[in-house]
Amino acid sequence: MGFSQAISEISKKIGREKVLTEPEDVYAYSLDASTEFKQAPGAVVRASSEEDVRVVLEVADRERVPVVPRGSGTSLTGAPVPTSPESIVLDLTPMNRVEVNVDDGYVMAEAGATVLEVDKACREFGFFFPPDPASSRVATIGGALAENAGGLRGAKFGVMKNWVLAMEVYLAGGRKLRIGEPVYKWRWGPDLLSLFIGSEGTLGVITRAWLKIYPLPEKVVRVMGTFDRLEDAGSAISQVRRRGYVPMMLELLDRETIEIVNEVLGYGVEVAEAMVVADVDGPREAVWRMAGEVEQVMKESGGRTRASDDPEEMQQLYLARQGAYAAVTRAYPGVLLEDITVPLSKLMIALRELEKLRKEYGLRMPVFGHAGDGNLHPTICFDPRDEEQLRKAKEMFVKIGRLAVELGGAISGEHGIGLAKKELFLEEIKAVRGEGYLEVVRRIKELLDPNGIMNPGKLWF
Amino acid sequence: MKGTAVPEIVRFAAENTTSVGDVLGLGADQRTRWARGLLPRGPVDGTVFYAGEMYPVMGYAEGAFRALKRLEGLMDINSLAKAGPIMRKLGIYTVGTKALWGRINERYEKGLRDAIYVLKNLGIEVGYLFEDEPPSGVALHTYGLLREFKEHAEWVHQRLRELGVKRVITLDPIVATAFRLYYPEFVEGWDVEALLFVEVVAREMARRGVRLRLGREVKITYHDPCYLARTLGVVDEVRFILSRIDGVKYVEPPRHGVNTGCSGDGGLELTQPPLARKVSYERIEELKSTGAEMVFTSCPACIMMLRTGFDSVGVNISVEDLASLVAEAMRNGIEEAMPEEPRFSRYRVFPPSPKPKSLELKDLAEMLEWETDKCKKCGFCNVECPTAKALDRLESRSARGRMTLINSLVKGDPVRPKAVLDRLYSCVLCGQCSQACPVGLHVQELIVYGRAYAIYSGKAGVT
Ligand SMILES: Cc1cc2nc3c(=O)[nH]c(=O)nc-3n(C[C@H](O)[C@H](O)[C@H](O)COP(=O)(O)OP(=O)(O)OC[C@H]3O[C@@H](n4cnc5c(N)ncnc54)[C@H](O)[C@@H]3O)c2cc1C
Ligand code: SF4
Ligand code: SF4
Repeated sequence: MGFSQAISEISKKIGREKVLTEPEDVYAYSLDASTEFKQAPGAVVRASSEEDVRVVLEVADRERVPVVPRGSGTSLTGAPVPTSPESIVLDLTPMNRVEVNVDDGYVMAEAGATVLEVDKACREFGFFFPPDPASSRVATIGGALAENAGGLRGAKFGVMKNWVLAMEVYLAGGRKLRIGEPVYKWRWGPDLLSLFIGSEGTLGVITRAWLKIYPLPEKVVRVMGTFDRLEDAGSAISQVRRRGYVPMMLELLDRETIEIVNEVLGYGVEVAEAMVVADVDGPREAVWRMAGEVEQVMKESGGRTRASDDPEEMQQLYLARQGAYAAVTRAYPGVLLEDITVPLSKLMIALRELEKLRKEYGLRMPVFGHAGDGNLHPTICFDPRDEEQLRKAKEMFVKIGRLAVELGGAISGEHGIGLAKKELFLEEIKAVRGEGYLEVVRRIKELLDPNGIMNPGKLWF
Repeated sequence: MKGTAVPEIVRFAAENTTSVGDVLGLGADQRTRWARGLLPRGPVDGTVFYAGEMYPVMGYAEGAFRALKRLEGLMDINSLAKAGPIMRKLGIYTVGTKALWGRINERYEKGLRDAIYVLKNLGIEVGYLFEDEPPSGVALHTYGLLREFKEHAEWVHQRLRELGVKRVITLDPIVATAFRLYYPEFVEGWDVEALLFVEVVAREMARRGVRLRLGREVKITYHDPCYLARTLGVVDEVRFILSRIDGVKYVEPPRHGVNTGCSGDGGLELTQPPLARKVSYERIEELKSTGAEMVFTSCPACIMMLRTGFDSVGVNISVEDLASLVAEAMRNGIEEAMPEEPRFSRYRVFPPSPKPKSLELKDLAEMLEWETDKCKKCGFCNVECPTAKALDRLESRSARGRMTLINSLVKGDPVRPKAVLDRLYSCVLCGQCSQACPVGLHVQELIVYGRAYAIYSGKAGVT
């Protein structure tokens, strides 16, 4: 009974070729993009149909074998890494069908399709799929829903949660739940869609989703402003929002980001205390007027600005932001990518506090992020072979999380909790919401997954 | 090599290369017959045409590849490799293979002769070393037999010096890669210049303002070989040559230049032929989608994979070396009209190569651990990884998975060298991973070093 029994039964039922148990296959699934946590599963099941998923969940539940759903493993928190060797990683990437229904305004995607594949399919019809995590060419729809991923266009279009109409989910034991309808209005409650979004594979396996699509903007103009003081950049951002502009993208970078990008990638981006990049979209006739107004706001806040709708120049204006991840990962073998959100009104306080932390610990920490929605990525750089640096980095990581909570924000805007932020998360919940909240969530978990086989050890479970 | 994790087929190819002089071990007579009466023996002005150990016998490989398809399920490539030496002992190997596949090989021999025709007509004088031509040994490098490669390369350098060779011109971008990128790393004082046929021809055509006439209209496309375009950065020359041939209607395939797609070779055609076939389908479809009547390319292994590939999907498109197109047009005469300063970019796609202190296990391990620890597991490398795509994104045979497995191997996780080597051998070394890696890892070269580590650490019994 137990693990080996489960594996041989699953192999028999869905086909041996879909069940990997050789160490050289399962070790390839032992990590995610946090690279902080490592545990190979005992087996990997490559699901190519809903029936495969159902069988795995039925047998694993009976045999009490942990199941860890996995998309592309780009999580930055250890969420798809097993916590025990006798686990099954359920790889959903072979399930990757995408069907666009323009008439009804949605795209149906199986869990393993990548976010970019979904977006590309929509573009063939003059539409697009707005959520765009920087990992979109790799990350799957299942993973993005389970993490409630956001992206650059979040300033205007929000996160995955805002784009789901319906989902199919399989629960431990193999029962199927179809939640929502692929129509723009339906109203029976309680809304279970939200329950599974951001659940990090701890409540069930998402096998497919119906997602809203949006017409491609007629035109986009990129406006870039550089500022000599962080405060000025902050005031530009809040003025843009206060005056009622909602740019599709509104990104902020600090001096250290620009410097690292220049140093490592050899770009000659103008160094300033801060840079703000905004993508203003709209009808052809109006977009330049709107962009001009955004530019004006930046100028009033003391920024030097440039604007363009020429693809090559737009690329130039975005160079420093685009190169940020590559530059830090090239320069530093150890990188902790933070992901806090603060209320927009507190953005400047957060930036100043981060600056203090940077000075206090003496580690480099470029800060960039989706300022339009208050989501910042302070990125702690260190050498993991140096124990002192490692300790400092970890301490900073925790302090930054606490800072977000103190300012009335959240410890994670989009990357999720997984293993990396589990303790901080409990701290946040207890401090802000109290034990009662935890109790409710625990009961929901018990109801949906009484034997606790779904991605154990993640979130608060 | 005996008693290591190296599979039979790799041993077969490696031993043939070093002891007989070509990958299939057919011998000097087969290897050099294409050049008889065509070229003077020995270098001319220090320059030789270098055929290499693959091009002159590629037809035999194609024959074997086709046969293997028929034998599928009955016999795998490693059993076939075992048959070779037995046949050789019986004295029927060369005769037998020639009878079977000699006809197929004639098309490759024609490609070589066409190249010589073009060079001669442009007034570029070259000699040929015939049976003295030392094989580059690139397969040793490809398959991670790096200690053997180093030893062999040092010998080759000495031989070329003795023979008075200062410059080679070759049709084969794989051996050119060896001479241009690997030799300088492995051989101290390496000083032989390696030029590609397309470089020499494009430069000369530009300088003299050559214009050619095909005498017919033909819609063609060109498959950029990974080694030529992405690895060596040679792209513009080909477009230039094509633009100077009247009658050619050129269509670029969707992926081209340094962003080219893999046709399924890079050594995989030898180690895991069924996967190589699978990998090739995407490229075959893509080339087909251009609507071209003919496909040209500049690599013997790509020619082989595309010829057999189009056949296997029942599409009648002929695949030839670009040299043959130029030769055909040149037979109608050469016009010299618009000389221009040759200006071709040399594209740099990859980061610098990783360098271990030595080929000792501990130095290999140290370098590999340091480099693969830098891998952030972002998976950007997997998006275009052709083997991952062909296998429905199976992680252990994807770029990122290979980085993980090498890391596991050197860190002492319970993975077995032989089984890791099998995953590493499933890579075609196309370099699309390195091109996409934000961290700047030279992924495919780490894979080659990973192969070396798996081989030298994986003695029989430890597997
Ligand atoms: C370079 C880089 C940039 C990134 N940028 C962003 C960004 O801009 N915005 C952002 O939000 N995130 C970003 N991320 C984080 C990450 O890419 C996202 O969280 C992504 O949505 C994860 O998708 P995945 O398919 O890789 O999921 P995985 O990493 O495989 O899994 C993530 C979690 O989802 C669960 N899961 C996966 N599939 C399913 C399913 N079908 N059903 C139920 N649970 C499932 C897993 O169990 C795990 O808990 C980035 C990551 C990297 C490496
Ligand atoms: S792209 Fe580079 S860093 Fe990312 S997973 Fe691949 S090898 Fe690792
Ligand atoms: S690992 Fe890199 S070199 Fe190997 S097949 Fe994949 S993309 Fe090509």
